[in-house]
Amino acid sequence: MPSSDELKRIAFEEIDSRADEIINISKTILNNPEPGFREINTAKLVSEKLGNLGIPFRAGLAITGIRADLLCGNPGPTMAILGELDSLIVNEHPFANPSTGAAHACGHHCQIGMLLGAAMALNQPKILESLSGRIALIAVPAEEYIEIEYRDELRKQGQLEFLGGKPELIKLGEFDDVDLAMMVHTTSTPEEKQLCVSGTNNGTVAKKIQFIGKGSHAGGSPHLGINALNAATLALSAIHFNRETFKDADTVRVHPIITKGGEAVSAVPADVRMETFVRGKTLEAIMDANVKVDRALRAGAMAVGASVKIETIPGYMPLSQDKNLYELFTPNAVDLVGQENVGSVAHRTGSTDMGDVSQIMPAIHPYVGGAVGLGHGATYVVEDYQLSVITAAKSIVATVIDALGDGGAKGGKIVAEHRPEMTRHEYLSLMRSLAKEDMFEAN
Amino acid sequence: MPDKNELKKQACATIDAHKDEIIGIAKEVLNNPEPGFSEIKTSRLVQSKFDQLGITHKDGLAITGVKGRIPGGGGDGPRVAIIGELDSLIVDQHPHADPETRAAHACGHHCQIGMMLGSTLALTQESVLSQLSGEIVPFAVPAEEFIEVGKRLELRDQNKLEFLGGKQELIKLGEFDDVDISVMCHTASDMGDRTFALGGTSNGHVVKYVKFIGRGAHAGSAPHLGINALNAATFALQAINSNRETFKDDETVRIHGIMSKGGEAVNAVPADVRLEWRVRSGTPKAVVANSAVVDRCFKAGALAVGATVNITNIPGYLPMRNDSRLQELFQQNASQLIGESKVLVMPPRRNRGGSTDMGDLSQLMPVCHPYTSGAVGAGHSKDYVVTDYESAVITPAKIMAMVVVDLLADGGVKGQEIMSEHRPAMKKPYYLQFQRERAEVIEYSGA
Repeated sequence: MPSSDELKRIAFEEIDSRADEIINISKTILNNPEPGFREINTAKLVSEKLGNLGIPFRAGLAITGIRADLLCGNPGPTMAILGELDSLIVNEHPFANPSTGAAHACGHHCQIGMLLGAAMALNQPKILESLSGRIALIAVPAEEYIEIEYRDELRKQGQLEFLGGKPELIKLGEFDDVDLAMMVHTTSTPEEKQLCVSGTNNGTVAKKIQFIGKGSHAGGSPHLGINALNAATLALSAIHFNRETFKDADTVRVHPIITKGGEAVSAVPADVRMETFVRGKTLEAIMDANVKVDRALRAGAMAVGASVKIETIPGYMPLSQDKNLYELFTPNAVDLVGQENVGSVAHRTGSTDMGDVSQIMPAIHPYVGGAVGLGHGATYVVEDYQLSVITAAKSIVATVIDALGDGGAKGGKIVAEHRPEMTRHEYLSLMRSLAKEDMFEAN
Repeated sequence: MPDKNELKKQACATIDAHKDEIIGIAKEVLNNPEPGFSEIKTSRLVQSKFDQLGITHKDGLAITGVKGRIPGGGGDGPRVAIIGELDSLIVDQHPHADPETRAAHACGHHCQIGMMLGSTLALTQESVLSQLSGEIVPFAVPAEEFIEVGKRLELRDQNKLEFLGGKQELIKLGEFDDVDISVMCHTASDMGDRTFALGGTSNGHVVKYVKFIGRGAHAGSAPHLGINALNAATFALQAINSNRETFKDDETVRIHGIMSKGGEAVNAVPADVRLEWRVRSGTPKAVVANSAVVDRCFKAGALAVGATVNITNIPGYLPMRNDSRLQELFQQNASQLIGESKVLVMPPRRNRGGSTDMGDLSQLMPVCHPYTSGAVGAGHSKDYVVTDYESAVITPAKIMAMVVVDLLADGGVKGQEIMSEHRPAMKKPYYLQFQRERAEVIEYSGA
């Protein structure tokens, strides 16, 4: 039986020899950006590549998701490698689609390169025979929580229950037979260096808010109107008045936008709409802030005698990563880029649906450098594809080999020692309990 | 029998003859300013003047009020009150402020006591009084200015008062039950080239004592444990301002107040924040509606941060309704005395924005509340002083005496006519019910 070092060498060789092809996959996706649940061409590309590799797959999971399983020579745990299919929408991004504004301003295109690079490397008989268990290659839709209106429409049509790709795949049972999971995300933060061990991420709920006032001629009879825009701006103030009560350690983020601010300037605004996230480090922190946000929204309505409809939509769970799985990843990262180039970050205040996966199984979500600019902004571009795709793919492959080599001993131990926050069933009940629609009438 | 003009001439001559004495009374009050329900010396001065004139009087009405009764020689007829307000304001730095209490006549009420006594003096001359029917009721009333609310609430708790305005309390006590018509005259400093003004209206109002109750916590180390009552109050004020666009121009809505307590110490989350607020509007209905809007805003402030709010609503004054026929008498007599060009008649809906408890009385009976010149400076400010006592005291004393002659001469026929044609907006039981409904304590938890 070859040693794990030998297996990694063989795998890395395959990746290196196909590096141009792998990087081209990422660049093709970069040039064909598609936001969540619309990743038709990206999914087609993944299907083609998997077909070329002769790997059977199932497509159309949660609309655009794809799963391909590589069976190892011996029984053992199932480890998932995830790659996110979706882009953001950033009109000014240099690689934005001119008609849709879609753009890979978060580096997901590199993840599909990594995923397929890992598939190429691991789908070699010499390697699979030496490993135990199963490798689930999953291309997941819709990590970015955007286009809420559109997704809500899909939900109402029964095509989705949850608005994020991984929660929907969990619901569909695609993680039922998965024991541990990993993915690597690009970063532009210099402090996170070339490969980065990360800790936690904020979770979030999303909210759709409608203030309902009463229209009236704004010049002729403002006294007959109820100004929904005043209700909304007061509600924003009320939210700000609560900020001093958010604990630093909870890293609460509440950042609303107004998506509709009135109909015409000559009429008292009667229909004003808002969206917001309420993020926090723990579920308790999110719920505490969420109660305050709801109260603030009601106060805005009450202030002017308007009504407010508050729709709370389950977002993502906080990310909590498995330390034992990192014990496999980190030495590989050191081997690949050198100790001095391995960074670490304790907590990030964004949110990812990898958090949801991390609630139910051991999971890691390390970062790879190579990008520059501000995440989700027009300046975020990947400059070092060798690092962002090739090195990252190697880090994944090496971690999988460590987890599933040696009869799957280390992977099995990680699974055995992991205490999930909740079962899949509990996760789904919790998510469903977060979905709420409240109507508050001031008068 | 002398005609009305002859009687008026005699009355005016009496006033002219006693001019220095009458102005002296006003100046004595000016130099002894006392705020509402504390007008001890001022009340005593009125009593001694009534005694000098041999007028029977009741004292201590609504604490400091003094009410005289002077039956005319002509038998039964209308009972006409000539009202003078006893109270001062509190205006630090006013040139005539009491150095200890800061009380100051920055609204000219001292002139009212002078003119009330001047008119009374003129009308009690035998030659005039014998020709009048009914009754003259010179009435020194306490506390027109709605100030020192905390102190008055204490008086209320001690059952010394129910209402916080002098005329309101006197109405409740029944002291206007035996009055048919009421007149008074207020000084003004903003009349341009006119010297006597009639008509217009004033705002009604509700007074609010508001307490936001939060939860104290170390503002640096544990703000997450606190509930910020100052944020609740600030939000409420923003909320009030956001409603301003819904107020109708013709309702002359004025909503204003002060924060009487904004926290304890800067390093603690404020847990006790207090406001004193006032909601004024041009009609009783609008007062009720806008008071409810403001209450809703206070509740919204509590809701915004999860605090509690306690609102003590206190009935304020009602809008002024000048009786048009009574006002005509004032207009005729003023024109006769000082010339038509000096008399300004404001349309009935012209609202000066302020409030007076003469408004309450005007809901119940024919009332006229004109203005006379003679003062300078902004009302209620340290700059408000009376510079022309002839115009501020003597002229209105004469005009009121002349109006009373018109009302009560000829068997009081004119007074009877005004009474019978007047349609009161409210009767006393409804008035009391309306004002008592304004007295409300609201507690709302936003948690």
